[in-house]
Amino acid sequence: MKEKKVVEIRHLLKDYGTKGFQTRVLKGIDLEIFQNDFIAIMGPSGSGKTTLLNILSSIDKPTQGSVMLDGQDITKISNRELSRLRREKIGFVFQDYNLLDTMTLQDNIALPLSLSGVPAKECIQRTTAIAKSFGLEEHLTKYPYQLSGGQKQRGATSRALITNPEIIFADEPTGALDSKSSRDLLECLKMVNDQKKATILMVTHDAFCASYAKDVYILSDGMIQCKLSKGADRREFYDRIIDMQASMGGDFA
Amino acid sequence: MSTLKLAMQNFRSSVKNYLALIISMSFTILILLNFQNVIYSDSFAVLGTRNKDYVDTIIQMICVVLGCFMFFFIWYSTNVFLTKRKKEIGIYVFMGLSNQKIGKLYMLESLMTGLAALVIGIGSGMLVSQLFQMILLAISDIAVEIKFRFDIKPVIITAVVYLAIYLIFVVKGYVSIVRSSVLDMVSASRQNEYVKQKNWILIVKAIAGTVVLAAGYYMALKKSGQEMLLAAVAAVVLVIAGVYLLFGGLIPLFFQGLKRKKTFLYKGQRTLWVNNLIFRIRKNYRTYAMTSVLMLCSVTALAAGFAIKIRYDNIVHFRNTYTFQLLTNQKGLGTTAEELIKKDNEIAYQSEITMLQLDEGLFEDQEFRTLRAILPYSQLKQLAKDTGLEFSLPEPGVDEEIDMENMPLLSLASADQNAVVKINGKEFRQIAQTEVPYLGYLQESVSYYVVNDRVYNELLPLGQQLYTYNYRISDIYNFRESLDELDTITSNTAENYTARVAIDPKDSEVEWMKVTYSVCIFMFMVFILASGCILFMKVYNDAFEEQERYRVLQKIGIGREMLGGAIARELSMTYAMPFVVMAVSSYFSVHALGNVMNTDLLAVNVVSVVVILLFSVLCYVLSVLVYRKLLNLDIKK
Ligand SMILES: Nc1ncnc2c1ncn2[C@@H]1O[C@H](COP(=O)(O)OP(=O)(O)OP(=O)(O)O)[C@@H](O)[C@H]1O
Ligand SMILES: [Mg+2]
Repeated sequence: MKEKKVVEIRHLLKDYGTKGFQTRVLKGIDLEIFQNDFIAIMGPSGSGKTTLLNILSSIDKPTQGSVMLDGQDITKISNRELSRLRREKIGFVFQDYNLLDTMTLQDNIALPLSLSGVPAKECIQRTTAIAKSFGLEEHLTKYPYQLSGGQKQRGATSRALITNPEIIFADEPTGALDSKSSRDLLECLKMVNDQKKATILMVTHDAFCASYAKDVYILSDGMIQCKLSKGADRREFYDRIIDMQASMGGDFA
Repeated sequence: MSTLKLAMQNFRSSVKNYLALIISMSFTILILLNFQNVIYSDSFAVLGTRNKDYVDTIIQMICVVLGCFMFFFIWYSTNVFLTKRKKEIGIYVFMGLSNQKIGKLYMLESLMTGLAALVIGIGSGMLVSQLFQMILLAISDIAVEIKFRFDIKPVIITAVVYLAIYLIFVVKGYVSIVRSSVLDMVSASRQNEYVKQKNWILIVKAIAGTVVLAAGYYMALKKSGQEMLLAAVAAVVLVIAGVYLLFGGLIPLFFQGLKRKKTFLYKGQRTLWVNNLIFRIRKNYRTYAMTSVLMLCSVTALAAGFAIKIRYDNIVHFRNTYTFQLLTNQKGLGTTAEELIKKDNEIAYQSEITMLQLDEGLFEDQEFRTLRAILPYSQLKQLAKDTGLEFSLPEPGVDEEIDMENMPLLSLASADQNAVVKINGKEFRQIAQTEVPYLGYLQESVSYYVVNDRVYNELLPLGQQLYTYNYRISDIYNFRESLDELDTITSNTAENYTARVAIDPKDSEVEWMKVTYSVCIFMFMVFILASGCILFMKVYNDAFEEQERYRVLQKIGIGREMLGGAIARELSMTYAMPFVVMAVSSYFSVHALGNVMNTDLLAVNVVSVVVILLFSVLCYVLSVLVYRKLLNLDIKK
């Protein structure tokens, strides 16, 4: 049985450059994401992964095509609604964390909630609860510069999850982390996907990273080339992804 | 590419970013040049050399103050400039440039910025110099035609002063770059703010600040006679130190306390702006303190101006109580004089009084007054009745006296109620003091003791009696007509000593006070503009640093209105904090000034604070707009 459809992309095109000198980066993408999915998008450098994610997360606009998020076409709504949508329905995890260095980790995590007008008491409760599940309860009063990369990224993920968004977009979330911190973070993502039914879309280079997802899409030359789905075992899935990469050729990092 | 070329290119591409710096520096040049110009122009020569000398001295003093201000201003702005530049220049390190080369690059760029400011400052300064003098003369109520005159001297002086100060800081920046490590340069702006103050340091600072400020206020309120000037100086130093400590300690402490109270913090945009404020306060508290002090100077300058104006009016009024005064040993000369005056003028009122001039040896006190005379109480009472001057002095007893004072510009020695005068071995206690001009001009140069009639008669054998006859004519500007008649009765022989005083209402040796008044008003504006400039520059710089952070916030879905709200709240604090500290402090500084100048200045205080409030609101609105624009523009890209 399939769950609720969260995102639906129809024939998405994206051109860059001025008129006459345009290059088509995305050449017609169709994609459906359902609740509790955990999707990884892989592809060689320059294939348009970040571009796709930026359009999905409404930071960028497509040249053509539609992106339905929770039943709303995000390419057609006003800036004001877009902000609300981003704040309430989407969670972001960036490669370079993007925690605000002006405030403590707790304040960072609580920020989206308090800005949405959630009562202070509830903010405190939820931040401590989520910090606990991410193993951050001892670091709440620290400033970002006092945290390790892994802690920062888990903090950023907590911030993305605090509003219980419909979907989480993560662009190379482990890109700046060592393997131990990467694994910790991926375990956390898997945990929220398994236990809290969170929906996750992740862009990554790394086969190991991708093997934590349930489905992997390979993006190349502006199109989705194929889809791999996880079986019972992560290790076996990992091997399949590596094989796929190898079969696709040299420029696939 | 040569270093020079690279510097030129950098300068051209970043000139927009440093516009605030250039404009504010050229503003200080403009002001200094205009004041220097006044000294070298002959606009004030009409006041006579003595007044012109006074005006020049005052303006020189102001130039020194402006020079100091320029020093701090350049110090501050080049510091901001350096921090920003360091980060950008740091990139060249990766291109393989040595620290010396980068330092040179910085020097060249700074010199170009400095020269641009100099050219703009001198150019605009010369453009407005005529206007400036015209306004100065108009406020001073001096009618004179201004000829356009260009003098190179003030330009040279201004340029030299500015360049000397500027070069000091350029070299300082060079040294700092040469000495710094690559890491410092790349993360120049990030690192210094990460340093968090220890709580106990803040607490010590806060307590020290409160105590020092309170001590300063106390000093300002002190009415302690001769030490008043010393107390005023102490008050100035204490208040400035206190304001710095307050912004360095109490205010960060307060906001950190707020931050720790999460139930307060997690409401609306507070998480954003309170944290931002705290994050920056370490770097910015000096700015807050400086603008607070500058605004305080501004209010005090205006109050000083008004006090001088009030004083000036009083002195002129005092002096013009009578148009003619005769001081003579000839009893009954009054009727003759009256007739002589009436030939050409109409008398508005007149009075006469007898005084006793005692041998100086009979006085036995430390006061260094030259001329002294004794007046009988009953005659003074009659004089007041004849002239219509107010009279509420109590009758002195046999061992009491009343002092008649002139109207000085400053009265540093306050009324000492228990003063005692010793005349001929007998002590007289001073029971009152009056500044009512019963004797007009004569009261300015002679000290009078009003005594009981009985005492007067007892002292009579000890000295010589003099008679004064005082006349005020209806048309005081027509006084010259009567001079020839009156001169027929003046005499300076042993038997007949008769002197006359004639007051020309147009000629006043205190004319320089009017100029000082208008200069004070200018200082008021200069200080306000300067503090506005500094705050504005700070906001401008902050906005640049904030761009990255706000981009992140937008990405995670925080809308423009919300960010706008956070900005508005943060900036309102930026303007409100120095303002409130200034408003409170100004009450004390103006009060102290009022004490020294013997004038009630509360109204002036209130008005100037309101003017500054309006100006601050204007600056605030402007900064919010600029801030939003800087951040929004970037978002659209
Ligand atoms: N703002 C832009 N203007 C013009 N071209 C752009 C812009 N952003 C991206 N591109 C181009 O679009 C293509 C896809 O870029 P994108 O950043 O999506 O790649 P990516 O798959 O995320 O690569 P990587 O794995 O290296 O991050 C690239 O060729 C890039 O040069
Ligand atoms: Mg990318």
